[in-house]
Formats: sequence, structure tokens, C-alpha cells
Amino acid sequence: MKEGFRQAMAWLHTWAGLIFGWLLFAIFLTGTLSYFKDEISHWMQPEVQARPLDDARSLTVAQTYLQQVAPTAARWFITLPDSRDPGLSVMWQDKVDPGKRGNFIQKTLDPVTGQAVQARESMGGEFFYRFHFQLQMPHPWGRWLSTIAAMVMFIALITGIITHKKIFKDFFTFRPRKGQRSWLDGHNAVGVLVLPFHLMITYSSLVIFMSMVMPAPILASYGNDTRAFFSEVFPNTNNAPASGQPGTLLPLVPMYEQARAQWAGGHVGRVAVNNPGDVNASVNVLRAGSDSVVHDFGSTVSFNGSTGELLRVSGGQSLPAAIGGSFYGLHMGHFAGPVLRWLYFICGLAGTAMIGTGLVIWLGKRQLKHLKSNVMPFELRLVEVLNIASMSGLMIAIAAFFWANRLLPVTFAERSDWEVQTFFIAWGLSLLHAILRRGRQGWVEQLSVGALLFIAIPLLNALTTSHHLGVSLATGDWAMAGFDLTSLASGIFLGWAAWKMRHRTVPAPKVERTRGLTLKQEAN
Amino acid sequence: MKSKTSLPVSYRLAVTSRVLAAVVGGYLMASLASICLALWLPTSRADAVITGMMSSFVFYLLAVLWCFACRSAARAWFGVLLPSAAFATLAGVGLWMTRV
Amino acid sequence: MLLALLMCYAGFAALCLSTDRHHGELLHSRPTPRRRLGLRVAGWLLLTVSIWPAVAIAGWGQGLVEWCAVLMLSALLLVLLLPYRPRLALILAGVGLLASPVAAFATL
Repeated sequence: MKEGFRQAMAWLHTWAGLIFGWLLFAIFLTGTLSYFKDEISHWMQPEVQARPLDDARSLTVAQTYLQQVAPTAARWFITLPDSRDPGLSVMWQDKVDPGKRGNFIQKTLDPVTGQAVQARESMGGEFFYRFHFQLQMPHPWGRWLSTIAAMVMFIALITGIITHKKIFKDFFTFRPRKGQRSWLDGHNAVGVLVLPFHLMITYSSLVIFMSMVMPAPILASYGNDTRAFFSEVFPNTNNAPASGQPGTLLPLVPMYEQARAQWAGGHVGRVAVNNPGDVNASVNVLRAGSDSVVHDFGSTVSFNGSTGELLRVSGGQSLPAAIGGSFYGLHMGHFAGPVLRWLYFICGLAGTAMIGTGLVIWLGKRQLKHLKSNVMPFELRLVEVLNIASMSGLMIAIAAFFWANRLLPVTFAERSDWEVQTFFIAWGLSLLHAILRRGRQGWVEQLSVGALLFIAIPLLNALTTSHHLGVSLATGDWAMAGFDLTSLASGIFLGWAAWKMRHRTVPAPKVERTRGLTLKQEAN
Repeated sequence: MKSKTSLPVSYRLAVTSRVLAAVVGGYLMASLASICLALWLPTSRADAVITGMMSSFVFYLLAVLWCFACRSAARAWFGVLLPSAAFATLAGVGLWMTRV
Repeated sequence: MLLALLMCYAGFAALCLSTDRHHGELLHSRPTPRRRLGLRVAGWLLLTVSIWPAVAIAGWGQGLVEWCAVLMLSALLLVLLLPYRPRLALILAGVGLLASPVAAFATL
């Protein structure tokens, strides 16, 4: 800190990056997978068939089902199927005593038959999505930890930019096959060239949970009445309370059509019905998030459920709300078509690689000083074990999750929980393995296991279901085929990494030259 | 980072102090800055609050960078608490004005 | 997005060539000041103008996002290609430029 601004920023970048790097790697990798969570869910629940989209039919079918199964519920939610998510999802909240929160029950229906789909129970891609911000921790601790990690990521990005003195000179520089130099070039390349994405994804993740982590202005401005703030920002939560008098809910389809007319052909994402059996029933038709880059939380057309009267059309967004909505929309990427979605995915992988290369560099630089002795000081050994477990270990865990999905019996009741447990057991075992094996062996063995697991996924799919590549490519089921092919490609990549690791020559005589590669001198 | 000789305690204390100044002091400063924005911006109440919250992270960043860039741990605390006091005063005035 | 991609890639290739180091690596000579200026101008021009095809088709919101994505990924592609297949990297830029009018006709 006494050595100058760039030095201080380099120090901060190095330590913040290390301490939170393992967690951030996991967040970035699972978050990147989340861009294809619907496709992953499709592979994991092949029994849910994609039907030609017919919103009117889906809505009618859903309403009939809910009227039969949950006529006295406090709230209904109907999520219409779209091109990526073929399931017609219905959810209802039990009516309980005032002040208590009723249970939510969710079912996936077949949009043609109206029956609950008999698909194997699985979290599907939702698991990765929820993990990347909840971290499998009880509410709200996971969100707090992931948002703290996001703040540290933001600091690491900015200090990285400050430290990278030759950011413009070295913009196109990537020199492979030069040991530590190449790793640093790679770290800089995936960092700088994809910087707009990294900054956007990091800052937007802070904005998404800002009400939770930075509540001070809400309290200062609204005092104890924080509800008033949320009603102003999310106006579709202002619904008439139940009157107690029974009423009949009109068909939802005409309301759906009126809403679409208000949006000049925009798409409906969800229909929420409050107090369906009551005279004061209210129907909120929410616009699909995929309609625009700027997410509009309030974009709703509201109706009285029993009279069909149009109550309210949400107005335009104010500038601050639009900015907040932009952060949300950009982060989620709901609006992205197939090509753009792949670009999001590649950018996410670049971010993951940026973090991973950083962790490797941190250790690699310090390991050079201990090449002569075979003993690594405890701190470095700890970093090495955590590096292996958090990177190759995580990838093994992800593969194990998919393997569990295909191997657990379809009718096994707790299979969804067991899929998740398999993920964590595999991760835990890889940590154990990393502790027991020497550094390079640990890497090679884990990368090889990961490679085998991923390469075998299409084969596993073929052996356990009738949706293997031959069928999926022939019928144009791109989600299914894409999953198998991406698993194969990932496995090949891991195999290549294992092979490179195995045949890496330890650069003993280059110790003197690599002294010049320390970040310290970079900053000079 | 030297590994041959272990780092002196005074160094470790100084680093800890800076970290605390950055994490705790920074959060305090960011919160107070966002409160000021929420109370003083001429937009609607909800919009001012949203703007305050969205901007708070930039203040937090600046506080953290300062705490590690400045020349001593004492300066770190000073550099964070002084603006915090200023923001607190502004916020106090803002609150008083809404009550009056 | 294709036209924007071709233009961004060509633009980055031009900017890359305008630096002493990469010009030396790829064309085995030092760029003259005129050439350096020309490449810089061409590079920045291509990058800026590439916004237009992205926005023309998809509107400002979606268009700008697509342009940013294409910008980042064309740079990444170039930088990863350069050390392994430098000639291919340059050829792609040339072909891309030539194909741009065709892509323009097809999409706009």
C-alpha cells in the first residue's frame, strides 16, 4: 500500500480474486449453464412433450384444471408454454388465515390433454439457476453471500483494469506455449475482450438484489411503510382483497386477448388470479419478459375476475425504473434468440475462464519459488486443493448430476432430491481426492474422470431413453441434440486439458525469466 | 508477498484495519450516500430510492479503492468516515425538510 | 448479426495490424505512418458503422445488445486465432470484407 497506486490495486486484485475466486467460479459456471436451463430441463425430463403453441387452448386447459383442483385457493398462477419451455405450469397458493403465508403447489400440465404430465421428478436446469444465486443455503443467506461475492467481483474487475497497464498495447496479445506468460495473456484476453459483458453481469447482479443488501434509502424515505415502496415499484401487487362473497370467475381467454391488444401484439408470460372464487377476484395478465431488453416488472393489464371489467393498464416506466429494468433484463437474457443465447453462453464461459485462469496464475507464480523443495507450504497446498476441487471437481459434480438423472428410477419419489445430493456428494468426493493426491496427479485424474463422464453422456442417453442423438437430430429436437453434443464437446475439452496437464514439462530453468512476470512488475 | 520471513504483526493489523474500513466503513458510506440521493433527488419518491440504491455500489467501490490506495490505515478510516459524516449531515437536513 | 460480425472482425483486424508489434508479426514489416493511420481510421470506422446493420434489423434495444455481443466475440475470435493461424486470421478478415456487401443485400 505504500508502494504506489497501481501496486496497491494489484495487491487488492490478487487477494480479493483469490479469496472469492472459488465461489465466483462456481457462480459463473452454474450461471452460464442457466442460460440454457430450459434446454437442460428438456433433456432431464424428456417425457414433457413440446406441443404446437396455442395460448388460448393452454389457458382454457389450465383454468379448467385449477377450477377442479383448487377452487378455493388464495391465488392461481398460470405460466404459458413458449418455444423454449414446453410445459404449461400451474401453481396455486392455499388460502390460510390472514397474515400467514399459504403453501405453494406447482404442477406441470400437458397443454393439449389438460392432465398433469407424468414426467420424472427433477429440478432440471432450475437447479443451476437457483444455485448460482442461492448457493443451496437457507433463505436469505445464500443470496447475501452471492451478492457479497458479486461486490468483490466488481472490485476485482475494476482493480484488474487499473492494474493492467498495457491494456491497449496488449489488446490483441496472446502468446501460447510460454508457460506462466500464456496463462496471464489468456487471463487478460478473456478479461479485457469480454469486459462489457463482465461489467454488465456483475453490476446487474448487485442491482437485482439491491433492495435486500442496500435497504437504507427505502427505510429513510418510507420509514416503516416499506410495503408502500414495493407497491409503487411493482403496481401489479395492488389487488382488491377478498370480499368473502362467492363469485364465478369468467373465462380467462378474452382477458388474455384484451391484454395482448393493449400491448399491440406483445406476448403474455403469466396470468395471476387472486381469490378466484370470490366476487372481488382479480386477474393480472403479465407481459412476457422476452418481449423486450428492458424488463418491465409492472407491465400488467388487470381485470376484475367476475365481471371482466378492465381495471388498469400499467403505464410506461420512469427512467430509473427503466434503468433498473435494463440491468435485470440484460442479466437474465430472456429476450435472447438462439444465436444471441449462445453468445451469452460463450461470454459466460469467458468469465468463468477469467476467474479460473486467475486462480491458476495465483498459485503458479508462488509455486515457482518452491520448485526446488518438494514440500509446499500449507497455504499453497490449501490453494491447490481448493483450485482443483472448485474447478475440475465442480465439473465432475455437474456431470454426476446428469448421470443421476438418467440412472435413478423414473418413479422413485425422492429422485429430485437425490439428483441434487449426487451433485454435492460428487463434489465432496472430488475435494477428498484433491486432498489425497499430489497436485498434478489430482488435476490429471479429475480432468480425466470429468472427460469420461461428459463424453459418455450421449451414450448414457441412448442406453436409458429413446431420445438419443439419432432420434433427436432426425426429428429436429435441437435442445435434446444440443445437450448431447455440448456434453460431448465439453468432455473432449476436459480430455484435452487432462492430456496437456499430463505432458506439461516443469519449467525449472525458466525460473529466472519468469520472475519478470510478477504482477508487481506488470504494474511498473 | 514474502514467504521466507513471516509478516510482522503491525503489517497484519494494518491490513485488517484497512479491510474493516473498506468493508464496514465503505458500506456505511454507500448507504449514507444512497440515502442522500433518495432524499434530495427531485424525482418521485420511488424513483429517487431506486436511483439511490443503484448508485450506491459505485460509492462502495470508491471507498474500497481508497482504503487500499491511501498511505496508511488511519487515512483509510478518515477518508471513509469524513464523507460519511458529510452524507449523514446532508441526509439529516433532507429528513428534517420532509418532516417540516 | 452476420454483417455486423463481418464488419467488427475486419475492423479489429485492421486495428490489430495498425500496431507495430502485430504488423511485424503478420506482415513482417513495420507499418509506415500513413499505413498506420489508414488502418486505424478503417478499423474504427468499421467498428462504428457495424452498429447500423445490427440496429436496423432488431431495433435499438436488441440491436445494441447484439452489436456488443458480436463486438466482443469477434475480438475474442481474432485474438485466439492470431497466434495459431495468423494467415487464416487475416484471410478471414479479407473474405469478410468482400462478403459484406453480399450479406448486406441478403439481410437489409
